[in-house]
Amino acid sequence: MKKQVPLLQMKDITKTFPGVIANDRISFDVESGEIHALLGENGAGKSTLMNVLYGLHRPDEGEIYFKGTQIQISSPKVAVDVGVGMVHQHFMLIENMTALDNVMLGLPQNKPPLLDVQGSRNKFNQLVEKYGLVVYPDTPVWQLPVGKQQWLEILKLLFRDVQLLILDEPTAVLTPAEARQLFRTLNVLINEGRSIIFISHKLDEVREIADRITVLRDGAVVGTVNKEGTSLLQLSTMMVGRPVTLERKPRPEIEEKEPALVIEGLRCHDDRGLEALKSIDLTLYSGEILGVAGVDGNGQRELSECITGLRPPIHGKIEIKGNSVTGVVNDPSLLGFIPEDRHKTGLILDFSIMENLILRTYNKPPHLQRGLIQWDQVQTSSEKLVKEYDVRTPNVEIPIGMLSGGNQQKVVLARETWAKPSVIIGSQPTRGLDLGAVDALHDLLLLERNRGAAVMFISTELAEIMALSDRIVVMFEGEIMGELDGESAELIQLGEMMMGHRIESSMDNERKSRGRPA
Amino acid sequence: MEDQHKSMDLLKLQEKLVAFFMAGSRPILSIILAFLVSGVLIYLQGINPLEAYAAIWRGAFGSIVAFGNTCVRTTPLLIGALGMTLGIRGGLFNVGGEGQLYIGAAAATAVALVPLPVPSFVHVLFAMIAGILGGAFWALLPAYLRAYRGISEIVVTIMLNFVAIYLVSYFVHEPALLAKEGASYAQSREILDTAILPIMVKGTSMHYGIVIAVLLGVLLQIVLKRTAYGYRTRMVGTNSDAAFYAGVNVKVSFFTTLLIVGGFYGLMGTVEILGLKHSLYDNFSGGLGYETIAVALMGAANPIGVIFSAFFFGGLKAGGNLMQQTVGIPSSMVVVIQALAVLFVVGFGVGAQKPIKRNKKNTQEQASTEA
Repeated sequence: MKKQVPLLQMKDITKTFPGVIANDRISFDVESGEIHALLGENGAGKSTLMNVLYGLHRPDEGEIYFKGTQIQISSPKVAVDVGVGMVHQHFMLIENMTALDNVMLGLPQNKPPLLDVQGSRNKFNQLVEKYGLVVYPDTPVWQLPVGKQQWLEILKLLFRDVQLLILDEPTAVLTPAEARQLFRTLNVLINEGRSIIFISHKLDEVREIADRITVLRDGAVVGTVNKEGTSLLQLSTMMVGRPVTLERKPRPEIEEKEPALVIEGLRCHDDRGLEALKSIDLTLYSGEILGVAGVDGNGQRELSECITGLRPPIHGKIEIKGNSVTGVVNDPSLLGFIPEDRHKTGLILDFSIMENLILRTYNKPPHLQRGLIQWDQVQTSSEKLVKEYDVRTPNVEIPIGMLSGGNQQKVVLARETWAKPSVIIGSQPTRGLDLGAVDALHDLLLLERNRGAAVMFISTELAEIMALSDRIVVMFEGEIMGELDGESAELIQLGEMMMGHRIESSMDNERKSRGRPA
Repeated sequence: MEDQHKSMDLLKLQEKLVAFFMAGSRPILSIILAFLVSGVLIYLQGINPLEAYAAIWRGAFGSIVAFGNTCVRTTPLLIGALGMTLGIRGGLFNVGGEGQLYIGAAAATAVALVPLPVPSFVHVLFAMIAGILGGAFWALLPAYLRAYRGISEIVVTIMLNFVAIYLVSYFVHEPALLAKEGASYAQSREILDTAILPIMVKGTSMHYGIVIAVLLGVLLQIVLKRTAYGYRTRMVGTNSDAAFYAGVNVKVSFFTTLLIVGGFYGLMGTVEILGLKHSLYDNFSGGLGYETIAVALMGAANPIGVIFSAFFFGGLKAGGNLMQQTVGIPSSMVVVIQALAVLFVVGFGVGAQKPIKRNKKNTQEQASTEA
């Protein structure tokens, strides 16, 4: 252990929001040349703490020391000037501008008032080469895949030569290969003496990359531990206050299985007009959870949109409980749908909780009577749902954007499952959620299954798929690569299917062994 | 328990009142600032600004005649701004009010020129319906392009304004259409007496338009807050992706909403003809349609707020004349005041119209239940 002054010290940081203490006397420090992970559930206060450090929030109390001197960080500009840079979960890039433009933006230039494009380009290319983050300077940002956009954000900070990088859930948007590359780059950075704060709620990656780990819970520090000598179980216990594992949960066998969702020969286009699904045949039975695995962008989103009637197929048919899907399915007792992106498509962040709860039923009784929305009634039923689904909020009238991700997702769940639908489609329902919330969501989906719902669980997280599914199918480039039994599926086999290897026999064998109709 | 309930209700009422004033505080502050800055300008001309403002006040609210003038000025602004408000809440920025009101006025005039064997109020009603349809018709093309082709309504509506103004100009120059022959200024023939929107208070110019306008404001507030259509429109206007995922036909929403907005403007032009001008003049609006955008923004795109904001604009206009007559400040000074007020409102960011309620009591309750 180095005995010098830590690069960063945060002392007794307290930050309150209306109704919530987001940070409660948090103390935290980062040494030079270390990766310090900040681990905690959503709403534990990680992002708030980092926003304080980055000058987006002013702390109510507390002090910040950088290289031993106390500093006041009043804006992100001040933060970057002292050498602290942050990559947000939702990127701060200008989509219409090129990668290089984004990096140069706002920097003082060598020969004002002219832009020193050539100089910046050279420096950009040097950085790209040095850190192995390959981004072409002239590509407009909107053409970059998300992974590259993140690299660009990092390049932007390196261009400004920051000493301390804050990465907020960096791997959430990356493919495994991209994550590997990111980790390699992070190692280069710390070898240069830079430090990194790595915010995450994924235990395994934190254990892989971090030197020290600070765990937050309910706005306070639970403890700081060294990676060595700390087990996964210890960490997860610190995080949620009880041991959480993604072990397969016991489940009753449902005897009476009948097809709830039948898909035959389904083909459709994606937003760009390219073929996204190439003849999908799939049957979902009541009382089962079908895991749909696969690398993101292999047709999962289009599949869920076809089933819900949001995307018109070009061929094939879809039936839910014998009802053919021809338009948007808006019967909450038939279909519940948890969309992929709760900020963009699942919720209206400026609307209140109760307004969000009636997004699909605003025009039906009991919410609508005699042509008027009965807000009193909506409020009463919303308060009931909020209690039932354990949404933590002072009341149902505050904008839902003020809730944490986990609580927001609970509102989506409440809206989509209260009517006990026959079919539930969960499209990446746990993305961006912490372990505790993931666990709670798994329990809930399992409960729905046991009630007799047919649940489709689309996820890129194999551990979750394996923990939850009765059957697993793997999608690759718009096709189903094969089907495995959830109980006996193996990681390696799934991984191979995700890379495009077809496993023909297993599906037939499964069907035969279970005596299901083909 | 019951006592607690009662005090809770009182608290809620209090909360709502506070929220109401909070929501109004920025526009009010902006208006005060606008008067202060304009006061300096007036003072520099060697005139006591307080005298000038007193004149405006007398001209706007000092007598029943003055108030009548204010109402007459307020009416078209209010009707148009309510349309604008619906558009903004539904995710549409209609800059085509000016054109829509011309076409609406022309359609209404055409109906108002035809002798009909019906009671007067029915004739007025027919003319209004024609006006609304005219305005909606002028929004048809931008609505289609916006909803089904994804083309910005802003550009299309602006350009159609010029088409409408020149088209109406043609109507009032061509005797075979609406023009009055031998008129010194191009205008239509005078509308029939049965189609005139009657005067409300004898001896003033106040016609029933103001009642229609205020009622429309209240109605729009109810529609936005309480009806399925209003909720759906706000949904689309706030997050059209989420609305789509919730099963709303977003395209239909954009399409119908922009048509209704056009209808509001058509009615605006209609009321101006039936209530005040009684004849369709070339260039009769002179930019009123654009002014409604400012009125709507000043009212924070909230129908009730817009009612107040329209009266502010209308009052200034009515009072400006008296100011010119009595203290010699050109009445265009009121335009300066209006412009400053709007600039300040925009500067304060009236867009964030939903102030987060910082309710101390709740916070404490929350904290104590958690503890």
